[in-house]
Amino acid sequence: MIKFSEEKLNKVKEVMARYPEGKQKSALIPVLHMAQDEFGGWLDTPVMDYVAELLNILPIEVYEVATFYTMFNMKPVGKHLLEVCRTGPCMVNGCDDIIDHIKQKLGISEGETTPDGLFTLKPAECLGACGYAPMMQLGKTYREHLTKEKVDKLIDELRAQAKN
Amino acid sequence: MSKQYYVESKPAAGGVISGNGMKADAKVAYVDDKPYEVKEGETILSLIRRHFGKGAVPTLCDAPNLEPFGSCRVCSVDVALSKGGPVKTMASCHTPVIPGSFIYPESDRVQKLRKNIIELVLTDHPLDCLTCEVNNNCELQEVAARVGIRDVRYPEGKTHLDKKKDLSHAYMTSDFSKCINCFRCVRACDEVQGQFVLSMGGRGFDSHIIKGMEVNFKDSDCVSCGACAQACPTSAISDIFESKSIQVDEKVRTVCTYCGVGCNLEVAVKGGKIKSIQAPYEAETNQGHTCLKGRFAFAFYNHKDRLRTPLIKKNGEFVEATWEEAYDHIATKLTEIKNKYGGDAIAGISSSRGTNEENYLMQKFIRAVMGTNNIDCCARVCHSPTAIGMQRSFGTGAATNSIKDIKLTDCILVIGANPTDGHPVTGAKLKQFAISGKTSIVIDPRRTELAKYATYHLQLRPGTNMAIMNMMLYYIISEGLEDKNFIEKRTEGYEEFKQEILGQNIDELEAICGVDKNLVREAAIAYAKAPNAMEFHGLGVTEHSQGTHTIMMISSLAMITGNVGRPGVGVNPLRGQNNVQGSADMGCQPYQGAGYFEVSDPVYHKKYEEFYNAKLPNYNGLKIPQMYEAALNDKLKAMWVIGEDMAQTDPNTHHVVNALSKLELFVVQELFMTETAKLATVILPASSFLEKSGTFTNGERRIQRVNAVVAPIEGTKSDGQVMVDIMNRMGYKQPELYDPEWVLEEISQIVPFFEGVKWDELGGDGKQWPVNKEGKGTDILHTETFKRGKGKFIHNNYKKSKELVENEKQYPYIITTNRELEHYNCGAMTRRTNNVLIVTDDVLMINPVDAAKHQIVDGDMVCVESPRGKVDVKAKITDEVKPGILSSTFHFPEVMMNNITSSVSDSEAMCPEYKVVACNIRKSKGEYKKPKATV
Repeated sequence: MIKFSEEKLNKVKEVMARYPEGKQKSALIPVLHMAQDEFGGWLDTPVMDYVAELLNILPIEVYEVATFYTMFNMKPVGKHLLEVCRTGPCMVNGCDDIIDHIKQKLGISEGETTPDGLFTLKPAECLGACGYAPMMQLGKTYREHLTKEKVDKLIDELRAQAKN
Repeated sequence: MSKQYYVESKPAAGGVISGNGMKADAKVAYVDDKPYEVKEGETILSLIRRHFGKGAVPTLCDAPNLEPFGSCRVCSVDVALSKGGPVKTMASCHTPVIPGSFIYPESDRVQKLRKNIIELVLTDHPLDCLTCEVNNNCELQEVAARVGIRDVRYPEGKTHLDKKKDLSHAYMTSDFSKCINCFRCVRACDEVQGQFVLSMGGRGFDSHIIKGMEVNFKDSDCVSCGACAQACPTSAISDIFESKSIQVDEKVRTVCTYCGVGCNLEVAVKGGKIKSIQAPYEAETNQGHTCLKGRFAFAFYNHKDRLRTPLIKKNGEFVEATWEEAYDHIATKLTEIKNKYGGDAIAGISSSRGTNEENYLMQKFIRAVMGTNNIDCCARVCHSPTAIGMQRSFGTGAATNSIKDIKLTDCILVIGANPTDGHPVTGAKLKQFAISGKTSIVIDPRRTELAKYATYHLQLRPGTNMAIMNMMLYYIISEGLEDKNFIEKRTEGYEEFKQEILGQNIDELEAICGVDKNLVREAAIAYAKAPNAMEFHGLGVTEHSQGTHTIMMISSLAMITGNVGRPGVGVNPLRGQNNVQGSADMGCQPYQGAGYFEVSDPVYHKKYEEFYNAKLPNYNGLKIPQMYEAALNDKLKAMWVIGEDMAQTDPNTHHVVNALSKLELFVVQELFMTETAKLATVILPASSFLEKSGTFTNGERRIQRVNAVVAPIEGTKSDGQVMVDIMNRMGYKQPELYDPEWVLEEISQIVPFFEGVKWDELGGDGKQWPVNKEGKGTDILHTETFKRGKGKFIHNNYKKSKELVENEKQYPYIITTNRELEHYNCGAMTRRTNNVLIVTDDVLMINPVDAAKHQIVDGDMVCVESPRGKVDVKAKITDEVKPGILSSTFHFPEVMMNNITSSVSDSEAMCPEYKVVACNIRKSKGEYKKPKATV
């Protein structure tokens, strides 16, 4: 059963109340973030339908927004989501090499998850940290000035963590 | 300036105002520095097209039935606010004209821009035109040629050529490698049908059309109206019939036969066979829209099950016969019965699916040749209470207004109708109205799709319309919201009516209908206060024991609020069958002849006798339910039925079958071996609407031309031809060949409101009756006075249905019958099309509370038992119905839902009460019977 906790529901109401009556669709993105956090890190169709119901909008209005933004995951993701920026400045600074390296190391393509369910690689558009290019977002933190070595170290650490 | 693609229209034809001839106050804009008149609020595109023709500016995302959108920018033009001033490029399709501005539709930079846009589009579009189904009918191809693309300078980007075709659906197909992201399909789904299945997903190069959340057509909420396929400028969305392919010999415009909306269809024919159907954008009734029945469900017409030879029953078996043998057999038998028992031992049931001309000939045959008024039609079992009720209140039993008035009204009141399923094209218009947020009131026991969007949904118990009507009228009067001026000038009987209404016990009525009286009050006030309020109703009003009474109350509701006689108001029955209006107009009623004259009135009796040159009875004939009684009592010996399957669709099946089985002669004209045809003694194979010509009159009194698309299937004859043949055979001389032109000419002489109707003058959109001598139609009735002079207030109290009074103790549930979008009535036609792949069974809607009580889960077989019998039907658990209420369809003979419906009928019109049946339910032990595969 897909349902927010009472506490989260109040939060949804609070977000909706920020917008004028009849404009509850404006609360869609914050509510989608909450839903993604709450229901397994990605937006399954029933989750989006639930959001549509909460905001009293049509399901398709949720789908079109959710698929537009790269920060919403439309497929199940691994425990660690590697969102590597590939917009201009990062590209100039070699993000393609970083992405290729991750692919090779993890044996997955863009958008795929490792069989152990640990990592998902997801190229992202500008994350607003061009000064630290190339960079990626891992959970709620940025990893900056990436090199192949840094990436290796990071992945090894996360693997080790998982084993313990 | 480079070469101009557009040709300026002549001043006389196009209304171009030259410099000298211009009116002083006319607003003008300049196109290529010449002044042209501007219409209030029009766009630049509309201005240019109005003066220079449709091809003047190329477009991609623009479509005739959609709002301007401005996404493709191909329609861009240069605009300057003063001569020689700074020039800006604007998308002409959604930019209003600024009077006094200077527009350059073909400037060099605009031409370059267009070319560049198309080049970019082509980087992501396969250039495999030669193998594309829309080759030579592709708007992208046309625009590419028009802007002069010779090569694409851009390197191939990330393309969508890997997108797989979606062939999952019974009708709809898609190939998104051909998509150009113009949004036309998305807008068609939103603005035309209001289904919201399609949208744009992803971003940038990855932008692509999504159906639901990336599902296929089959699994989406698509209702297969085909609006997206018709809107698509390429072959990205199409249908299994490739309806945009140019591989056709001709296209014939005709009228759909699946409901009373009267959608115009454009039928493509190739090699004498129907290839596909589209909807003409310019048609007044449907503006490019249809539902899946009209657009796709035509495969029945040459189905292997079509009857192709007359059959005569000998020793209980049907034996093939020639037409000559069949006619001889019928004529001999009819003469014998008439001589032995008199004409009143013979009865006819005409078809509201047939043309006006055929209905007219049928009633003429029964009256003038058989000498009886025993002629009725299927209107008896649907809108006969509407006809009688509105005749008593207003003087005419027809819709007062036109469907186009939905655009002009401020409030809609929809009672006992589910137009989404029953009248899909009008239903979509009503849905758009409700979605727009304007006041909409739905009175229905089911939470229909329209009810979900409505401002007020009064979810009453079945059979309590009269309680709600009394309540609404009570609140309107007690709140002082009557239109006193209208009541005084245009009506009679008001004081008495008012006293009756004010004497109602509202709390008691509230308990009866089960709707909060405050909600009823709010809805009543909203209806009364709306500047223009328009009422629609369907069979949920008429198919009740108080059907006619309810109609008169609805008429009173309109009169008390002054909502009659101008645009955007009125009382508007949503007529069920394509020509149910026409069959009554033509006199297929036992008490009124062609043109609604009482057969018992000496003046009209004489008039008919003279006109038909025959001796006619001067007393009323039998209505359909009375015919069954007469057959059971050995008073009726012969019956002739055109295209109606009473054995499946009339209530209380056993009763009907017993009656029909007793007949000595039972002639059935049919397309298929229906349950009724099986009981016939003679079957005559009929031609379908696609194979014949004539006129249908839709629910807004619009007489439209039906044009034969293909030749009759070999061995079949049109109902009109059969009527002409049998009249000639029995010595009542008619022209040998049935042709709508001469029949219509004859009709225009006897039916006053057809006076000016001429076959050649009907044109594409037909004419709304009354049509005067000069050939002018009428879109709104009762504008100055009512047909009967003054509108009459007639009051009746709510009265509990006999069905419930007698049976509710033992049978505590109420089942009400309804329709599905995908099937039509007995399903004889739609079950022989791919529609049956979409909706495969009749289902029983049941509330979760009741389901739990009986341990029923979704898909279980449920036994529904009434005092008449029982049926097994598959459960669909839904909160669309309230606890205690069930709902089901009767499209499939495997279920035979009418085994349980009752013979109780409307007190005035004898329309059966399909909507209130007392029953009980239990989980069935019976096996699920899968309907026979028919496609």
